[in-house]
Amino acid sequence: MKVTIERAQLAKSLAHVHRVVERRNTIPILANVLLRAGKSSVELKATDLDLEIVETAPGEGKTTGSTTVPAHMIYDIVRKLPEGAQVELQSASDGAQLQVRAGRSKFTLQALPETDFPDLAAGEMTHSFNIASADLKRLIDRTQFAISTEETRYYLNGIYLHAIDDKLRAVATDGHRLAQAEIKAPKGAKGMPGVIVPRKTVAEVQRLIDDAGEEVKVELSATKIRFSLGNAVLTSKLIDGTFPDYGRVIPAGNDKTLVVDKSEFMSAVDRVSTVSSERGRAVKLALTDGKLTLSVINPDSGSATEELEVEYGAEALDIGFNGRYLLDILQQIEGEKARLKLADPGSPTLIEDMEAAGALYVLMPMRV
Amino acid sequence: MPVRQLPENVVNRIAAGEVIERPASAVKELVENAIDAGATRVEVVISGGGRELIRVSDNGSGMNSEDLALCVERHATSKLDSEDLLNISTLGFRGEALPSIGAAARLSIVSRARGSDAAHEVRVEGGEKSTIRPAALSEGTRVEVRDLFYATPARLKFLKSEQAETAAVIDVIRRLALARPDVAFTIAANERVIQYPLRGTDEAGRAARLADVIGGDAHANTVPVDAAREGVRVRGLAGLPTFSKANSLSQYLFVNGRPVRDKVLMGAMRGGYADLLHSGRYPVAALFIELDPREVDVNVHPAKAEVRFRDPSLVRGLVVRALQDALSGGARRSATTGADRLVSFARPQSAPGYSSGWRGSSAPYRGGLAEAAQAAFETIAQPSADARANLAPVLQADLERPLGAARAQLHETYIVAQTVDGLVIVDQHAAHERIVYEKLKRALNENGISTQILLVPAVVELDDSDVAALVARAGELAKLGLVLEPFGQGAVLVRETPALLGETDAQNLVRDLAEHIAEWDDALPLERNLLAIASRISCHGSIRAGRRLKPEEMNALLREMERTENAGQCNHGRPTYVELKLFDIEKLFGRR
Repeated sequence: MKVTIERAQLAKSLAHVHRVVERRNTIPILANVLLRAGKSSVELKATDLDLEIVETAPGEGKTTGSTTVPAHMIYDIVRKLPEGAQVELQSASDGAQLQVRAGRSKFTLQALPETDFPDLAAGEMTHSFNIASADLKRLIDRTQFAISTEETRYYLNGIYLHAIDDKLRAVATDGHRLAQAEIKAPKGAKGMPGVIVPRKTVAEVQRLIDDAGEEVKVELSATKIRFSLGNAVLTSKLIDGTFPDYGRVIPAGNDKTLVVDKSEFMSAVDRVSTVSSERGRAVKLALTDGKLTLSVINPDSGSATEELEVEYGAEALDIGFNGRYLLDILQQIEGEKARLKLADPGSPTLIEDMEAAGALYVLMPMRV
Repeated sequence: MPVRQLPENVVNRIAAGEVIERPASAVKELVENAIDAGATRVEVVISGGGRELIRVSDNGSGMNSEDLALCVERHATSKLDSEDLLNISTLGFRGEALPSIGAAARLSIVSRARGSDAAHEVRVEGGEKSTIRPAALSEGTRVEVRDLFYATPARLKFLKSEQAETAAVIDVIRRLALARPDVAFTIAANERVIQYPLRGTDEAGRAARLADVIGGDAHANTVPVDAAREGVRVRGLAGLPTFSKANSLSQYLFVNGRPVRDKVLMGAMRGGYADLLHSGRYPVAALFIELDPREVDVNVHPAKAEVRFRDPSLVRGLVVRALQDALSGGARRSATTGADRLVSFARPQSAPGYSSGWRGSSAPYRGGLAEAAQAAFETIAQPSADARANLAPVLQADLERPLGAARAQLHETYIVAQTVDGLVIVDQHAAHERIVYEKLKRALNENGISTQILLVPAVVELDDSDVAALVARAGELAKLGLVLEPFGQGAVLVRETPALLGETDAQNLVRDLAEHIAEWDDALPLERNLLAIASRISCHGSIRAGRRLKPEEMNALLREMERTENAGQCNHGRPTYVELKLFDIEKLFGRR
């Protein structure tokens, strides 16, 4: 294999694929990126056995062929080469090494043959649709923060993507809070199975989406999902589990409505949280007619209170929330105002975006 | 095969297996008999790990010929007056030991009743009783057991090595010796003779006996424990956390003078030392629990190693509390072994100057050129010798305090303080970490724990008994921030978790808790989880090694240590300071 690529092109593609490669591996070949030279392009492929990325970059192939080399190392090398350099990749005749040349720099990397490189057999995809990049980005951005990181409830370690009525809806929860976002279902999404897209895949899609152009093609089956984002194709296994019946935890009968200016509220929460030292310290909200008083008490260092003028007409209520969680949710609100629907200090609170229809958040209070 | 009544000698051998499991259990039974007979002197001789010979002689009340004939019969005893099994004040009562030994070995008992002018002997071999014969003995009783387990070869196969069996016998006698300082014990095993001389039954006597048993430095490294509540009294000595051991063999527990290995008590002991010891370290302690014999059932286990309390939580609570009180009182003490170790380490092995004299230059050989050039940097890299001498005046009042007045900081890590009669070296990071930790712990206790209510309550499936145990403790758990309730058959529903734990794995947390409760009857893992986080925070917020402290800061740290409970060791059980008395220093220089 012998191929010449422009440095910027190669660096960009490697930047995309190398992230899929785990830093520590027990199987040596998983640390490698597969390079396959065609006549006028180079295909780069990396996998961690759950997620596979294939990206195509333009290149001038003198001899076609393929090899695999350590992904993080070749990325670091290419990154440090001077701007505008032409990079030549040439594998040794026995295939055991790959030479990387650019200007007066020359590197020799240990290579492993392509035959050992695992293939994430995609199988047949049953559903396929195109979705506007902006829509997909919104679904991810609004819900990603609520994905659980706790491994035992593995079925919460991703975003639950499913079609409901004529909507495509994304839901994530970690057992303390829940986020839901939806868009009008694209053509072809109707009747798709509900799937749980793993956290790592979600993060990669989010990174690639800005370079993806107007539309993203999504294909899926009951066990796999594939996103075609511009030059990159991401294929991932899905989380094999049942997402809980989230509809039951979204409160319907909360009758105390609070409307508050989002940025004012966020700054206030952030300010009063300063006095709490340990994580998970509660912010108390005391609601009376037209007034919201936030307070944090830290017996070691002091206390903080702040008052806000709000729209609130129901009976007085005291409720505590994890300040961090409250900020996470408020950050997702697109409009200027947030609407909180409360019931009592021990029941879930519903937070709605007054401008973005379909986006809603549920937060469980803390007991203090 | 038809059902038939087993012949008596088979019954006896089966029963013997329960009571007499190994030579040590035979020794235990015989020595307990001697103590029950009111002996003040007990001599034990064993050979071959007790397999060849066990001989126990005492100066107790002895038996006349009728008693002697009866004592080797099953369920014959002199120790149970009435038929009240609830009121047992002797060590033995089941009337099983002698016939069991007789069923499995060659047993000979020679005894002379007090006041009688003749001694008698009875022999039992493999369950066959001989006639009573006159014999010679000046006082008390002498029991000889030869060829133990010759009649039960299966048991013989499972015995451990001679050394292991000897060690077990000695351990049994140690435990009994601790319980009864007013009895003198002599053990001759193989070539070794161990003697525990007669001691008083008061505090000093107990301490002296403990020192006999555990070793000479026990006295200086233990604190007395004494507490009573509702008719239960716990007394004894608890080792300082810095005087811990790597196994639990130095834990001696007694209930009404009876050595036990009881789970409730062992759990309580762990509870008492909960955050003072690193896991894998075990405290040294001898605790004597005294209560009305009717409040405890000793008839649970043939070897009586376990007991059952009528109110286990009372006993448990009392022991935990008593240990915590005793240890926090003695907290300002670190183990003296620290100083001892230091002194022995620091004592020059040969006079300095001689050591490198004849080898020529004492400077180490340096290799290549590059290294020689590098050497110039070495002095820069070395820790600063700046000792931050005392700039502030030393107050007499400070000198008189337990940790004295700070005089210098060495290597930006150790504070050297002067006391009236010695000097103290403090590890500033370890000490400050402990102070911050104790503060956090107090805050947790005082302010309560805020909980995060779960959006999706977690269902945890468990055994029914575990569910019952957890639900019974729901109130206590709720105080620690874990709110759960029963959820149908064999499951609990977790509704709230401690906010401090963040996003936590309720399944594992609850399962661990259930297992722990089943075994130890306390909710330690949850508390420990919370405190582990507290201690991580405390480590983060502590003064690190390598930070320069001003004299005022050093003194403030010392005063804070004096005020803090358990300041003698860091969260991992290492000492936070070492005290060297003038006496120790004088020893260093050979003045003593």
